[in-house]
Amino acid sequence: MDEASDQSPLRSGGRSCGGWPMRSGERRGQRGGGGSGGRPSLARSMAAAAREPLSASGLDEADEAVRGTCEDASVCKRFAVSVGYWKDPYIQYFVRQAKERKAPEINRGYYARVHGVSYLIQAFLKKTDCNCQIVNLGAGMDTLFWRLKDENLLPRKYFEVDFPMIVARKIHNIKSKPPLSKPIMESHSGDSLLIDSHSLDSSRYSLVGADLRFSSDLEEKLKKHNLDTHLPTLLIAECVLVYMTPQQSANLLKWAASTFPVAMFINYEQVNMTDRFGQIMIENLQRRQCNLAGVEVCRSLDSQKERLLLNGWETAHAIDMMKVYSFLPQADVKRIEGLEFLDEKELFEQLMQHYCICWASKDNSNLGLANITF
Amino acid sequence: VVKVRPNDKDAKLKYQECHKIVKQKAFERAIASDEHKRSVVDSLDIESMTIEDEYSGPKLDGGKVTLDFMKELMQWYKEQKKLHRKCAYQTEKVTVCGDTHGQYYDLLNIFELNGLPSESNPYIFNGDFVDRGSFSVEVILTLFGFKLLYPDHFHLLRGNHETDNMNQIYGFEGEVKAKYTAQMFALFSEVFEWLPLAQCINGKVLIMHGGLFSEDGVTLDDIRKIERNRQPPDSGPMCDLLWSDPQPQNGRSVSKRGVSCQFGPDVTKSFLERNRLDYIIRSHEVKPEGYEVAHDGKCVTVFSAPNYCDQMGNKGSYIHLRGSDLRPDFHQFTAV
Repeated sequence: MDEASDQSPLRSGGRSCGGWPMRSGERRGQRGGGGSGGRPSLARSMAAAAREPLSASGLDEADEAVRGTCEDASVCKRFAVSVGYWKDPYIQYFVRQAKERKAPEINRGYYARVHGVSYLIQAFLKKTDCNCQIVNLGAGMDTLFWRLKDENLLPRKYFEVDFPMIVARKIHNIKSKPPLSKPIMESHSGDSLLIDSHSLDSSRYSLVGADLRFSSDLEEKLKKHNLDTHLPTLLIAECVLVYMTPQQSANLLKWAASTFPVAMFINYEQVNMTDRFGQIMIENLQRRQCNLAGVEVCRSLDSQKERLLLNGWETAHAIDMMKVYSFLPQADVKRIEGLEFLDEKELFEQLMQHYCICWASKDNSNLGLANITF
Repeated sequence: VVKVRPNDKDAKLKYQECHKIVKQKAFERAIASDEHKRSVVDSLDIESMTIEDEYSGPKLDGGKVTLDFMKELMQWYKEQKKLHRKCAYQTEKVTVCGDTHGQYYDLLNIFELNGLPSESNPYIFNGDFVDRGSFSVEVILTLFGFKLLYPDHFHLLRGNHETDNMNQIYGFEGEVKAKYTAQMFALFSEVFEWLPLAQCINGKVLIMHGGLFSEDGVTLDDIRKIERNRQPPDSGPMCDLLWSDPQPQNGRSVSKRGVSCQFGPDVTKSFLERNRLDYIIRSHEVKPEGYEVAHDGKCVTVFSAPNYCDQMGNKGSYIHLRGSDLRPDFHQFTAV
C-alpha cells in the first residue's frame, strides 16, 4: 500500500484512521480528465462503506488496506516527534522517516490524540496504583510499553494485539534493535522469554497475533500469555473499531465487558461522519480499497456513547478532539503551537471535530473508574 | 498524465524562464494607471447599447473576437461599410481567480471552462499558487509561462504563501527540492519577492490577496510606495495586504490567524471612499461556494481551489469583470 504512506492524518503509532489520505491532487493524477460532476450522495457513500459481505479475496484486500494504515500512522507520528511535538525515542526503530513534511494541522492532531489518550491511561494507572493490565487492541507499532517503563508506570502486564502479519513485523523490529529488546529483558523475570514468529511473551510485555473479530480465539491466546481477568484491565482501541462492522465491534465490546469485572475501554476514532467532510473521507478511502465498515456508529458522539452502553459498559463518555485539545495542559499546547505556524484554523478545527475519544468503565470494585474524566 | 520529472533539458529551460521573470518583475512597478484622468470607459454603457435589426454587418460572438469575425470585418470594410459602434466599443472581460494552491488539475479545469489565457482572455491570479496541493511546481511554472507569453494580459499577485516561511512548512520548498534542487527553490523565492501586492482595475476595483489595513488612512499611493521585494514583515501594510481578513462587525479585531488583523465594513467603506474605489476583490479564505460577497458588496472573496486539501468539499470560483460595468460575475466549479 505504497500510496497509503505519507498522506494520512491522525494516525497513532497504532492504527491509522485512514481518513486522511491524499492531500490534493494525488488521486486526480490517476483519474484523468473529466467532468467535475457532483459527488455521489452521502447515503450511498455510507452504505457503500458498510457494504458486505466480501468475498474471501475481497476480505483479504480489505484487511491488507487496514494493515497499511499502521505504517501511515507511525510515519506521521515519527515526523511529529522529529519536529518536537513530543518525545518518543522508540518510534524511530519501528518505522522509516516520512518522505515529505506533514502539515501542521496533522501534527497538532496527533499531538492531541497521543496526549488525550495518555491522560486517560495515566488516570487509570493512578486509580489502580498500576495493579492492573493494559490490553492494546490493534496496537500496531505503538511504543507505549517502552515509554511507560521509562516513567516507572508499567502495569502488572502490558498486552498488545494485532494482525499476525503486523505482530511478526513488530517482533522482528524488537529482536533486531537493542533499544527495544533490552527494556523487555530488563522487565522480565523467571523463565526465558517465549518468542516465535507471531507471538512474544515475557513477564511484563506480551505480543499476540490475533483477529479481533474472533473474540474467543483472542481470549484463548491472551490467556495463554497469562492474562488475569480478575485484574482491573484497561483496553485501548485507536482507529480499530471503525474497520469492523458494527456487529463485529459490538461483539468485541461485549466480550470485553463480560470478561473483565473491573475494566475501562478507551476508543479513539472518527465521529460526526454524516456531513460533507465524512463523505469525502469515505470516498477518499474507498479509492484506496480501504473500507470504513463501522462508520455507521461514528454518526455522532451520542451514537459512540450508545454503542458502549448497549454492549455491557456501565458509564460512557465521548468528546470530540477539539474539546480534548482545549482540556490539554495549555502551557504545552502553547509550546507546540509555536513549533509550526498554522496558516488557517478551519482545516484543523474541521479535522478535530471529526475525531473523538470515548471511554467507558465498569467497576465492581468501586475503584472510582467512573470518575475518570478530563 | 503530467510528467512530474521533466528531463534535464526541460528543467534548464524552465530555469532560464524563471530568470527572465526575475528581470521582468524587476521592471514592473505596482499598480493602476493615472487615476486623476477621467476614464472614457467609465462614461460608456456598452451593455445597454442595442444593435438594430437592419444592421447586417459582423457581430462579436459572445463578446469575443474570432477569426470568422475578423474575416467578416475585413470584407465589410472592403465594401466600405461601418462596423456597429457596440462592436467597436466592446471591451473584453478579465477573469480573476483566487487561491489555487498546487491543485494543478483544477487549474487545467479552469482553462477548460473559461478558455486559455490570451490577449482577448486576460487573467489575474490573486496569490497562493503553491503549497498544500501536490502539484505546486506544475501550477507555478504554468502561470509563469503564461506571464511570459502574455505579459500585459496575464497577471500574478502575491499571496501569503509566496513567502519562505509558508513554503518551508506547507510543501512547496519540499516539492521543489524533490523535483529539482535547493537552488531552484531559492530562485522561486527571489521571483516571489517581486510579485506585485495589489492591482487596480480601471481605477475602480482593487485586488489583493489578503485584505485591508490595520490602520486608517492608507492610500493607493502608500501601496505603490511599499518596497515589496522582500519577505513580508510581521506587521504593517505589506503584511496586511497578504494576511488580513474581513469580519462582519465594524472596527478591527485581532486576527484569528495570529498575524495582521480582521477589518469591518466601516474600514472597507472608508478605504474605498478615500481612494475613490468601488470595491475590493480578495482571496485568502476558503468559502463553501467558492466566493463570498461581504461588507454590503464592497468586499468580495474569490477562492479557486475546489475541495481544498481533499478535505473541505468546497466549490471553486472565478470572477468575470467587464470593463463596461465592473460588477463581479461569478462562475463556480467543482473539483475534478
